[in-house]
This record gives sequence, C-alpha cells and structure tokens, in this order.
Amino acid sequence: MKKVTNLSELFEKLDDLKTVFRYGEKLIPVIQGLVDFMRDTVPLLENINTSIAESTSKIPKATSQIHNITSATELATTEILDIIDVISNDISTAEESISTLIKNEKEKEEIFLAMKALVINNPEASALLIRYEAINNVNLILSPLVELFEKIRSNVYNITLSLQVQDITAQQLAAVNHLIESVQEKLSALVIDFEVTNVSVLDSSTIQVAHNAAFDPNARYSRSLDNQNVADALVKDQMDRASQDEIDRIFS
Amino acid sequence: MELRFLIVDDSMTMRRIVINSLRNLGYANFVEAGDGKEALDKLALDSAINFIITDWNMPIVSGLELIKAIRSDPKIAHIPVLMVTTRGIKEDIIEALKAKVNNYIVKPFTPHILKEKIEQILAIAS
Repeated sequence: MKKVTNLSELFEKLDDLKTVFRYGEKLIPVIQGLVDFMRDTVPLLENINTSIAESTSKIPKATSQIHNITSATELATTEILDIIDVISNDISTAEESISTLIKNEKEKEEIFLAMKALVINNPEASALLIRYEAINNVNLILSPLVELFEKIRSNVYNITLSLQVQDITAQQLAAVNHLIESVQEKLSALVIDFEVTNVSVLDSSTIQVAHNAAFDPNARYSRSLDNQNVADALVKDQMDRASQDEIDRIFS
Repeated sequence: MELRFLIVDDSMTMRRIVINSLRNLGYANFVEAGDGKEALDKLALDSAINFIITDWNMPIVSGLELIKAIRSDPKIAHIPVLMVTTRGIKEDIIEALKAKVNNYIVKPFTPHILKEKIEQILAIAS
C-alpha cells in the first residue's frame, strides 16, 4: 500500500515538474529578452558614464573662460574709464580757456565802449567801430560753447554711470561659475555612483550659494527704483525708531 | 570739516565710478580698499577717514562683516557707513540695518541718490 502511495506522490511531483518546465519554456524568451535588454543597456550606461566624465572634465575650462570674460570686460571698462578721464580733463581745459576768453571779452567790451566815446564826434570812425563790433561779438559763439561743453560733460558722466553694468554682470557671471562648479561636483559624484551601481539624482535645487559669497546671485542691472524705495522706507523706519528711542530715553 | 572717504569695493570699476561721482559732487579726498580686511587695515592706519562707502559682496571680509567690525571697535564705531550694493531684497537691507549701516543704496546708483544719502547721513551726524 505504501508503495502505491509513493508512486502516486511521485507522479504528482512529476506533474508539478512538468508544469514548472512548461512555465520555464514560456519564461525562457522573457528571460532571453531581459538578458538582451541588459546587454544593450550596459554599453548605453557606459556611454552615459563616459559622456558625463567628458562633460565634467570640460567644466573647469568653461569656468576659466567665464572668468576670462570678466577679466576682459573689467580691463575694457578700465580703458573706457581712462578715456573718459582724458575727455573730462580735456573738457576742463577747454572750459578754463573759454572762461578766460569770456573774462577777456568783458575787458574788451569796456575798452570798446571807451573807444566809442572817444570817436563820438568822428562819424567815419564810429561807423568802423560799429562794423567791427558786429563781426567781433565772440560772446555769441562762446555762450553756446559753454552749454555744449556742459552737455558733453553730462553725457560723459552718464557713460561712467552706465559702466556699473560691468560690476553687475561680473557678479552674474561669478554666480553662473559657482553654479557650474556645483554641477561639476554633482556630476563627479554621479560618475562615482555609476561605478558602484548606486545612481543618485542630480538636484539643482540643492546647489547653495554661501551667504558671504563675493558675488550676488540675484544681481540685476535695472533702472527701476523699486528696490531703492524699499531700502529708503526701511532706513526711514529705522531712523524714526531711533529718534523715538532717544525721546523715550530723555523722558524716562 | 573736510570729508575723507574710504571707498571699499572689490570691483576697481565701481571704485572709480564712485570716486568720479564724489568728485562731481565736489569731494576730493579718497582712500580705496579692495575688500573688508584691507578697509580695516586702512582704518587702523588712517585716523582722518571720516566716511565709509562700502559694497556688500567682497572676498575675505564682506561689507556686512566690515560694518559689524567697525561698530564693535570703539575707536571707529562712530564713522558713518553707506552701503552701495546690488543686494536689493528686503531681508538683506534689514540685515545691513541691524548691523548699523547708516544708509543703503541699491546699484546701479544715480548721482542724485548718492548725493541725497551722503547729505542725509551728514545731517543726522551734525
């Protein structure tokens, strides 16, 4: 009886095995597909890894080039400021000369009036003096020149003020450089992670700028006075509070 | 009393622009520093400095750290400080005011604003 039981168990087990083989037969193409996929994916992952490594190695050159741009623009701005200084000095020299001419003209006018009085009884001489006065009125030329030089000086000064853009763009570029360097750090970590098959996620939101960094990541060249108005309001508020404190101290 | 300005900015361009603007306003006495540390060194050596115009973002010692250092030194704590910076957000301005800056200009500045702030500081000081 025991033998019959054993045989029936054996047949059951063989049936189970048959079922497993049937599943196996069905699973084999799936497993084969998975193996093929892995075979295709590995070179792809290796390519990605190589690309990241290559990109990472190029970043120092990129940051260096950005730094060079800042240096070049600072040099160019300095040259412009040098030229502006020369122009300003030339304007000052010209203005001094004009000022001397205006002073001389006043003196010449006094002499001219005295001469006119001297020749009042000589119609011919008087007529000549009037003709001379008509063609020799230097003030008519000097007055617009004074205005013109003032305008040039004002324009030159406005150019100087506009050059603040160099400092602001330098800070923006420094912020970009910082960002690139942070990305490099993350990418380098990613290359290492690939090798240990533990891929971490590159998250740009974790890239922080130190509070005491030598640049302002939010630097903007804007003519808007919105931020200045905020600053003025806060400074006024602070001053008012300080004054109130002083009054309180006096009466306490 | 003649004003002797200490202009502190790591940007040579900005130092020149500020100095040009001050010259246009009729001032002629300036000292320059490229960062907060250099500024403190100059302040230690030059007791004639009686007005400071500083940037915020600078290497080594920032403008904010410079103000804190000035205010904690009884010998120079009285010197007025005007901050000229790109940092225009409210929190930054409050931080500078907490550090006891006398007035605050957001870059890019205009000569009118520079004149106004200097005059405000001098009016309070007198």
